[in-house]
Amino acid sequence: MARRATAWFRLLLRFAVDAIVAQRGRSLLTILGMAIGTASVVGVVSIGLLGREYVVGLIEGVGSNLVFAYGTGRGVNPEEIDFDDVPAFVAAVPGIQAIAPVLRTSELVPIKGETQQVAILGVTPAYEQVRNMVVESGRFFSEREDAQGAKVCVLSEDLAIELFGSTYPPDASLRLFGLRFRIVGVFREGVESAAAVQKSEAAGLAALIPFATFRNLSDLRYVDVVYIQSATPQAVPGVVRGVTDIITARHREISNFKIESLDQYLVLAQRVSRAVTLGLIAISAVSLLVGGIGIMNIMLVTVTERTSDIGIRLALGAGQRAIMVQFLLEAAILSLVGGVLGVILGAGVPFYVGWLYGVAVPVSGLSVTVAFTVSVAVGLFFGFYPARKAASMNIVDALGYA
Amino acid sequence: MTGAPEPVIELSAIRKTYTKDAAIVHALRGIDLTIKAGEFTAIMGRSGSGKSTLLHIIGLLDAEYQGSYRFNGTPVEDRSPDALAQRRNRDIGFVFQSFHLLPQLTILENAALPALYAGDRSADECREVARERLREMGLLARLDHKPMELSNGQRQRAAIARALVNAPRLLLADEPTGALDSKTADEILEIMLELHRGGATLIMVTHDREVAEVAERTIHILDGQTSNGMV
Repeated sequence: MARRATAWFRLLLRFAVDAIVAQRGRSLLTILGMAIGTASVVGVVSIGLLGREYVVGLIEGVGSNLVFAYGTGRGVNPEEIDFDDVPAFVAAVPGIQAIAPVLRTSELVPIKGETQQVAILGVTPAYEQVRNMVVESGRFFSEREDAQGAKVCVLSEDLAIELFGSTYPPDASLRLFGLRFRIVGVFREGVESAAAVQKSEAAGLAALIPFATFRNLSDLRYVDVVYIQSATPQAVPGVVRGVTDIITARHREISNFKIESLDQYLVLAQRVSRAVTLGLIAISAVSLLVGGIGIMNIMLVTVTERTSDIGIRLALGAGQRAIMVQFLLEAAILSLVGGVLGVILGAGVPFYVGWLYGVAVPVSGLSVTVAFTVSVAVGLFFGFYPARKAASMNIVDALGYA
Repeated sequence: MTGAPEPVIELSAIRKTYTKDAAIVHALRGIDLTIKAGEFTAIMGRSGSGKSTLLHIIGLLDAEYQGSYRFNGTPVEDRSPDALAQRRNRDIGFVFQSFHLLPQLTILENAALPALYAGDRSADECREVARERLREMGLLARLDHKPMELSNGQRQRAAIARALVNAPRLLLADEPTGALDSKTADEILEIMLELHRGGATLIMVTHDREVAEVAERTIHILDGQTSNGMV
């Protein structure tokens, strides 16, 4: 029984293919319409994914595991995060991998005869890793130098270029707090995105000195910001809660603090890119729809043209079902071939361009599957009406008796 | 053949009415007709007499009629398109005036078509039977030709081969010689006579008296009725 059904289906498949081949010019144009529709869907999803990857990459470059806490304004706010808060976080909040408090001030430094404002940041050696800094030349200062309050500094790329015209400064020193700080290295941000999302205190002209040294030389009692790196992205919400609890417990109620993570930016970016992608898919789906209407149009013409052919087949005992399936198969084949070509086009062009420019272009397997399925479904959907028209023809009229 | 042959077709009080341009047309006004197995019957009438309508009803191409129709001893009750299609496929072979071969298929494929749609046999077996029928029609050398490449006589012989491929109970021919010159027409009529001598049941619709004379029995249709005294 199953074998018989298979043979029946194969027969109708052959008739469908014969008919498509017999009208190859028209079939090709119809296929082209479907291919363009499918390609635009796949292509658009790739563009959307590329955009999302770019934005997510920017944010993750800063550190998706990163939580930062700060008071909301000097002078106005009665209390800020103080030196004792930092060990309290480490002691009480689980899931903290590293912590980097930052002290900040600025000083006017003479550079090439001009005085310019330079940010001075007191940081622990953990800052390098937590903030994803890259040491361009020389080295970062060590735990020992931090503990000893050594007078060493690491310059931002911008500052090194301003001072020496190079990111490889000579063995020199910089005058800060009225004292000579030996320059041990030059750093840059691991990802430019830190500056792009405006969350970097180390952008521009900046010099990093050991936290303890800063503390000894300055009367600052408050930490500008604390960076806390959670062990995993999943632990971020727990760390945020824990840090919030500690701060609430240790400070007066009227004080305002912000505890943030980049998670929210990540979620936002993903949400925005998803919305944009969906919008683009909806627009490109219109072309798929147009392709489908093209199929219906061609199939209707075909059915009219082949009235006599259909009448003969019906007279010889092809059931309505056989005629219906044959025409549905024709429509499905047109749209399937169009779908395959469209997927090759829609995925191949981004791949090729990506290969040319050495960029990994994401092609969503899901979008390929969806485009494929949708194109066949479109064929069947728009093929249904013409197929039914063919199958329900009046035989006597179709044979030319009317 | 011994004993009384079984009736293949039993029509009683067949009426067919349709509207054309808002006018009611009584195409058939109560036809009673019995055709027995092995008979060669000609249905004669002028154009518009209703003979084609009658042929469509006998051939199960038209299910919109009143009256009772017994085919091969059983009433045609299930008039659903697929049920009728199956009966046409297995029990009735059609020969048309304009051949009605599918132009894109070869003669062999055309002849195999009813067998292929029947789905009882493999495609190879279908082609084998079709080849045998075409051989009998003298077309063995033309199996791979398209209808366009054949003469009209060859086309009609191919159509007869197609009509016979499922070994039907009844062969229905609608003006089978209408598109042929007299010499070729005689050839086709000779083939039909040959089939008749072999025991086939044939009904042939024609407006041509000479053609009708080949049959052993002639039924005249006039204004949707079998004309009295001539049946």
